[in-house]
Amino acid sequence: MTTSSSLDNQTQIQGMNKGLCLCKVCRKINLTSNGSCTRCHAPLATRNYASIGQSWALLITAVILLVLANIYPITLITNRGVVTNDTIFSGTVHLVKTGMIPIAIIVFTASVLVPWLKIIGLAIYLTAISFNLPVSKKKLMVGFHIIEWIGRWSMLDLFVISITVALVNMGQLLDAKPAPAATAFALVILLTQLAAKVLDTRLLWDRLEPQNDAK
Amino acid sequence: MAHTDQHQCHVLCRSCDLVVQKRALPSPVRALCPRCGTALYDTPYCSINGMLALCIAALIMFFPANLLPVLEIHFLGSIRNTTAFQAAIAVGDQGYWVVGVAVAISAVIAPLLLLSSILAQVCIAKFALHLELGKKTLRMLLKQQGLLSQLTMLEIYVLSFLVSAFQLSDFADVHMGMGTFCFTMLFLLLLFLQREYNLEHMWGLLDDN
Ligand SMILES: [Zn+2]
Ligand SMILES: [Zn+2]
Repeated sequence: MTTSSSLDNQTQIQGMNKGLCLCKVCRKINLTSNGSCTRCHAPLATRNYASIGQSWALLITAVILLVLANIYPITLITNRGVVTNDTIFSGTVHLVKTGMIPIAIIVFTASVLVPWLKIIGLAIYLTAISFNLPVSKKKLMVGFHIIEWIGRWSMLDLFVISITVALVNMGQLLDAKPAPAATAFALVILLTQLAAKVLDTRLLWDRLEPQNDAK
Repeated sequence: MAHTDQHQCHVLCRSCDLVVQKRALPSPVRALCPRCGTALYDTPYCSINGMLALCIAALIMFFPANLLPVLEIHFLGSIRNTTAFQAAIAVGDQGYWVVGVAVAISAVIAPLLLLSSILAQVCIAKFALHLELGKKTLRMLLKQQGLLSQLTMLEIYVLSFLVSAFQLSDFADVHMGMGTFCFTMLFLLLLFLQREYNLEHMWGLLDDN
């Protein structure tokens, strides 16, 4: 065990220790001493230590907004004079009741599952960096890439709302309007995407002890 | 100068900062970081002429896709339809401008900017790479490329008009038309264009000169 980890320490050299730094903008390897990238002229930084705090702040704001987005209605439907408030969840339940199961699954994934998974995933990730949790870094990284990729799919709900609002607009007979949760939901998508983008993942590999991945 | 030579044959992982020896790869293979699994590099190949063709086709398709209605409903004798941009305006008009702006950017504005940017990049690569102005413009466009492709969400929009069509079929007759077809074609063309496009290769054009 010790030999393998000491061997790892020899072969797994961080760019920072070699005086090298990857340009965040164009991904060219630069000498850290250069100060700015030779190819795209962007300023170089080996690590962004402030990124953990920024990412936490964005994430906490997103959690509050996501709770609001789930409590308040997201659409107001008037059908023959009867007004119904649909929340994100009741909208999905309605789809299940009308028998559109595949559509219900798509909508549920995009508007309920993805935002919550993303927030929980980012929270685990940030906690692991901030408090040095003994979790496999490799697994965390795989999770992080999934989070980065699925986040945008939440936009589906907003697209559907905008199309519905534009089409269904016939006064008392049939009318659809957005409701307050729509704005909260849009901000959740924006903030969680930013929280993932801002975070400097290289910090994870500096801080956590290598033994968690030795197995 | 020895140092420069040394880091030509290495790459750094963008996620974990590991120094990895660079090796030649066969063309469809992608190198992953041995420590964290992040994609590191692939053989930077893109056909400039192929990209030019796809890009022009997508730009031509952009206009019918955004001017013709993506969805149309017939309800008690009245017909209503909407384009992607009108749908964004409709939610904005209701006071939900955050949603309206998000929809307009990700479905209409970012795709148009992305296509125009790639067209400009291809033209510079073909004709103006020896000029200082050409290089400057190319550098500026490449810096924005990542953001623009992240903001472009045509694939999600295509799925969303299918979802809307199913949801609305509860109340009304839903029709898809030429606009729906053009929008789907636009999405497919952009998909192939983005597969052909290689950011690392485009940055490489600035290196050689
Ligand atoms: Zn750079
Ligand atoms: Zn890595």
